[in-house]
Amino acid sequence: MAHVDTSKPLEYQTEEGRLKILGFWIFLGAEIMLFATLFTCYFVMEGRTGNGPTGAEIFEIGPVLIETFVLLTSSFTIGLAIHAMRLGAKKATINFMIVTLLLGAVFLGVEIYEFYHYAHIGAGITVSGFTSTLLTTLGTHGLHVTFGLFWGTAIILQIAKRGLNNVTANKAFIFSLYWHFLDVVWIFIFSFIYLKGML
Amino acid sequence: MAQFFPKGQVMGFIFSLVLTVAAMLVYFLDMSFGMGMAVLIITAFLQATLQLVVFMHAGESEDKWAIYINVVYGIVIALMTVFGSLLIFNWDM
Repeated sequence: MAHVDTSKPLEYQTEEGRLKILGFWIFLGAEIMLFATLFTCYFVMEGRTGNGPTGAEIFEIGPVLIETFVLLTSSFTIGLAIHAMRLGAKKATINFMIVTLLLGAVFLGVEIYEFYHYAHIGAGITVSGFTSTLLTTLGTHGLHVTFGLFWGTAIILQIAKRGLNNVTANKAFIFSLYWHFLDVVWIFIFSFIYLKGML
Repeated sequence: MAQFFPKGQVMGFIFSLVLTVAAMLVYFLDMSFGMGMAVLIITAFLQATLQLVVFMHAGESEDKWAIYINVVYGIVIALMTVFGSLLIFNWDM
């Protein structure tokens, strides 16, 4: 049996748990680079619109604001889920996680509408350097959110079935890191793709 | 119920909403490009720091220095990649 330090929150109590959290931070470092290369491509290609539309012509502030506020709120609720988890409140943890995933689903719905809309108005992925890099960057973020929905659902089921312990709390905490990270990436997309494009 | 809404995180959320509204003003106030970019850079990096420290609990474990060094290293390489590429491809230097 591994050494369990009960003076710490559940997710840090075993050495394995602590190292998994550190390991996930290192993975997030690699994720920073993944999105940095996508942003690099986008910034380089931003003005290369060929015969296609520019950012200012296709970006709509409405859906972007909905996406931003929905994702910010979901980042807050996953934080509340971890707080509830540390209070040992299983039911509240699960409920906050469900709210988080529902908000994630709303975000994804709006993003899918956006992609449909772009394709409809002649800004498909094959139109220009600008649309290719734009849709690849947005799509990679959206894919991460989609994956997060499945991952989060699996963790909710595990907590519901096995309760809060060293293993499930550790998984939920790592999921919260992932979700907050997606919010951080979105903030950069919101600021330096959408708002910059509409300046 | 109040126990589930810790003050630090509620304040963090409100602050992040304020930062988002501040960034939005760039669009609604028709700022110049330079001015707008300055506002966006400040709000985006403040927002990211807020998430990292308040919500991701970056500083709470004994590995905090490894975590901070890892994140700062990632950001430095990210900025070098972005601006290095812009220098070569877009700013013709």
